[in-house]
Amino acid sequence: MKRTRALPRVGLAVALAIGAILPLAFLVVLSVSAEWFYPALLPGQWTSANWNFLGRGSAVIFSSLGTSAALALSAGFASSIAGLFAGREIARLQGWRRRFAVALAFLPVAVPPLALSIGLQYSLLRSGMGGRFIGVLFAHIVPALGYTTLFFAGIFAVFDWRVEDEARSLGANRFDVLRRVTLPLLRRPLVEAFALGFLVSCAQVPLTLLIGQGLVNTLPLELMSYVSAGQDHLAATAGVILTIPPLALLIVAGLAVRRLRVVIA
Amino acid sequence: MENPDPREPEVKGLLAAILVAGPVLVGLVYSLLGSFSVVGPGATGFSLRHIQVVLADSTTWWGTLWTVWIALASTTLATVFAMGTAVALRGERGVDRFARLAAVMPLAVPHVVAGLGALLVLSQSGLLARLAFAANLQTSPSDMPVLTQDRYGIGLILALTWKELPFLALIAFSVIARRGPALEETARSLGAGALRTFRAATLPVLWRGLLPSSIAVFTFVAGNYEVAALLAPSSPLALPLLTMERYTDSALGVRGEAFVLVLLAMLVSLCGVAAHEWTANKVETGE
Repeated sequence: MKRTRALPRVGLAVALAIGAILPLAFLVVLSVSAEWFYPALLPGQWTSANWNFLGRGSAVIFSSLGTSAALALSAGFASSIAGLFAGREIARLQGWRRRFAVALAFLPVAVPPLALSIGLQYSLLRSGMGGRFIGVLFAHIVPALGYTTLFFAGIFAVFDWRVEDEARSLGANRFDVLRRVTLPLLRRPLVEAFALGFLVSCAQVPLTLLIGQGLVNTLPLELMSYVSAGQDHLAATAGVILTIPPLALLIVAGLAVRRLRVVIA
Repeated sequence: MENPDPREPEVKGLLAAILVAGPVLVGLVYSLLGSFSVVGPGATGFSLRHIQVVLADSTTWWGTLWTVWIALASTTLATVFAMGTAVALRGERGVDRFARLAAVMPLAVPHVVAGLGALLVLSQSGLLARLAFAANLQTSPSDMPVLTQDRYGIGLILALTWKELPFLALIAFSVIARRGPALEETARSLGAGALRTFRAATLPVLWRGLLPSSIAVFTFVAGNYEVAALLAPSSPLALPLLTMERYTDSALGVRGEAFVLVLLAMLVSLCGVAAHEWTANKVETGE
């Protein structure tokens, strides 16, 4: 095939880089500016006031950041472990059973979060978990588990089961096989699944809104209320903070989503 | 890989899937009962009232059509850009690698932040308007076309395209790297020129590989709440916003209508799931 000329490729690369970075850079600059009125291209005054919450634990943004982090870490942990076992069992199915099971596991991913929230609210309120951290955590785990189950179903679809058989033939029991063979082999996918669950939890808005009933305040909700109140600088600060953990996690986990193609594609 | 132990009880796999989908299924049943006014806020016993009110309301249909338009437009744009990017940047040179990295970078940005970014960049006094002013293209914010909370959802479409492009580009990069070269080589060896090779080999491979993911993106985008809450207009009201409005209405009797809207949204999603499974199966079997 005829080689693509270098210049358009460089142009495309620059356009993609600008498109990816510019909106985020704008948020960063906005978060450290005090006054920045139209049509100025750069802020008239710089300030660290929007970031002062880092030194003052009492700030609303700080507590919502803590809640978001606790939710995402717990949901990431729980969904990666549960997803491992669910995905493993689904991958062992064959034929229509496997397709049916994958379709079922796809439901929490495909159903709109708002529909999921309204459906879940009843059972969580009845069980006394509405408006509480534990209820919101459970709600976050539902879609996160869908993603991690599909992820592990993909991983186990190409898993060499003979390794486990070999260990069993050498006298290892089921627990030993899991602890000494399967888990060490799946250390990296487990980290990636944790990152996936973490990211899914970080992104939840309607679930937190309806299940948390305004009593569980996370950073995405705080961001939206800042926008409603016209506090663009604080909204930008919250946006920057929200972007840092996923960015770091994706880099650390080596782009966890890359494995998703096994199932999705 | 084939299951090496056929005696392994298949019930465990199905049970695992049911447990994963359980909360959604429970929610589905609850919403179904709520639609018939059997349970939920303002329930009055079995009645078709909520269904009749929602289905007779033009707001429902405009909202649904508008939501489908937004999802269709942003998914199409993201798919086309992803395909173009994958074809143009398939090389192994530094510039290609850098461009591929830049293309997938927004993957890490949460949707709510993408919505905020779009709001601040595209609004009439946003970054784009400031750049236009600096370039003497406008003299006041009102010269800037309305791109946020606009009737056609331009800002919303741009934000969702920006957010979904990285995921589709990632899939497209992978598809073209795994399946492209061999087919293209075959096409070339049969005498096909560059354009013919692209049309007969590259494009079909990319299309088939991307289709399941594009359907997944469409389904996701159609149900997204937070970006719509930041960028969608109040009329027509996007389906997720309409549902939330009804569900949080101070009049308990109106809240039941949200269940019908939930079922409508779930129907769109289920169509997406069915289409996804069908196309994924087609791709898997090479049909």
